[in-house]
Amino acid sequence: MRPIIGITTYVDQATWGVWRDLPTTFVPHDYVEAVTQAGGRPVLIPPHEDVDVLRVLDGLVLAGGPDVSPELYGAEPEPLTVTRPDRDRAEILLVRRALDMDVPVLGVCRGMQLLVVAAGGTLHQHLPDVLGHERHRPAPAVYGEHDASFVPGSRIAGLMGDDLAIRCFHHQGVADAGKLTVTGRAEDGLPEAVEDPGHKFVLGVQWHPEVVRDERLFGALVAAAAK
Amino acid sequence: MRRPLIGMTSYAEQVQYNGNDVMAGMLPMTYVRAVHAVGGRAVLITPDDPGEDVIESLDGIVFCGGNDIDPAYWGAERHPTTEVDKERDESEIRLMRAALAADLPLLGVCRGLQVMAVVGGGTLHQHLPDVIGHDRHRAAKGTDPLAAGASAYGRHDVIIEHDSIAHRILGAHATVNSFHHQAVDDPGSFTATGWCPDDRVIEIIEDPAYSFALGVQWHPERTADLRVFAALIEAAARRSGLQPEAFAA
Repeated sequence: MRPIIGITTYVDQATWGVWRDLPTTFVPHDYVEAVTQAGGRPVLIPPHEDVDVLRVLDGLVLAGGPDVSPELYGAEPEPLTVTRPDRDRAEILLVRRALDMDVPVLGVCRGMQLLVVAAGGTLHQHLPDVLGHERHRPAPAVYGEHDASFVPGSRIAGLMGDDLAIRCFHHQGVADAGKLTVTGRAEDGLPEAVEDPGHKFVLGVQWHPEVVRDERLFGALVAAAAK
Repeated sequence: MRRPLIGMTSYAEQVQYNGNDVMAGMLPMTYVRAVHAVGGRAVLITPDDPGEDVIESLDGIVFCGGNDIDPAYWGAERHPTTEVDKERDESEIRLMRAALAADLPLLGVCRGLQVMAVVGGGTLHQHLPDVIGHDRHRAAKGTDPLAAGASAYGRHDVIIEHDSIAHRILGAHATVNSFHHQAVDDPGSFTATGWCPDDRVIEIIEDPAYSFALGVQWHPERTADLRVFAALIEAAARRSGLQPEAFAA
């Protein structure tokens, strides 16, 4: 049996087929394909207070999405912060339980930020205000492409090897990684990868490895889940 | 006590939301909310990789609505109005065979009921208006046929056989919504136990030999009447040794 990998989902008004603005739960299919190609069996996990679902999951992908509610890290929402509080409430419970159970977790973009918040860290709510540039989200539906640098000896450095190119699309970023270790940074110093060496597999990346079905990362998650 | 874990078959579709346009694994929230409202926990099974290994983790499964099934599965030519989803066909037919073999409690909704009939060796009508002379089983796009003041279009009665699983859940009669242009012709190994009285279109099929195997042609998840979902959850809890009284409604 393949390892079962849960992927968290969005809930939003979506338009598809004959339907307009229908409340829908979904996740970009890139995540599904990335998990499948890496040898996992994906199931999608709509937000709910129940965390017993982790009983059957061998690994967890925290997918991208809207901003994390600033209340979760003790800040007031800023004007450009857009949140889905229901999803936050459910996912923060899921993350905390997954960490308690030592379920392997890969956090992507918002998912990385959620790992940081669960570890007691904080976020920048709008990076252009802090960094003075828009290179992490150049334009709608355009990924910012850059090379990251990784801490030698870290998990992410080992996984990435010589190809350091990453694709980013985010306007928030990690200010303080809390109990997590920052193991990768962009050229401007922004944290791009976080890890928790105290767990079997806890890795957060600020970029979008699912878009290229990056088997280096998804394969590592599935391998950890198979143990 | 944990909630019974219910797999739900889902779509892979191009969706638009908040100015984005992406290929997504997706399901209308009505299905998810229906399962959660009756004490279950929903997870979505995507159609991209037909494998049945996920069955072992579940307490029950819902085969959800969607496009038409490829008539090649029952040896028929494709009708001009038939719009198939081959990826879902392949994965759902495999999943359903595995679910039945494992006696996993199973609910089919709309297309899901039609998958049951096909897996049971039966056949479908590919376009009801050709068979019954009207299109009143397909509500106008984006409408709720059960809403107050809605026209009768897309709403009809169902009469239910005595001594059936459906009768124990719903009684002798139900009023339902309707969003389909295909329907079960021959239910194969399943038994038809509910019909639309106006035109004898099959609305319910079931097989009492399994712990729970019921299909309905309408969309209970879009209504306040979630009794068929509650019956699935009860069967799922019973099979997995969970205590139904612990579930909050």
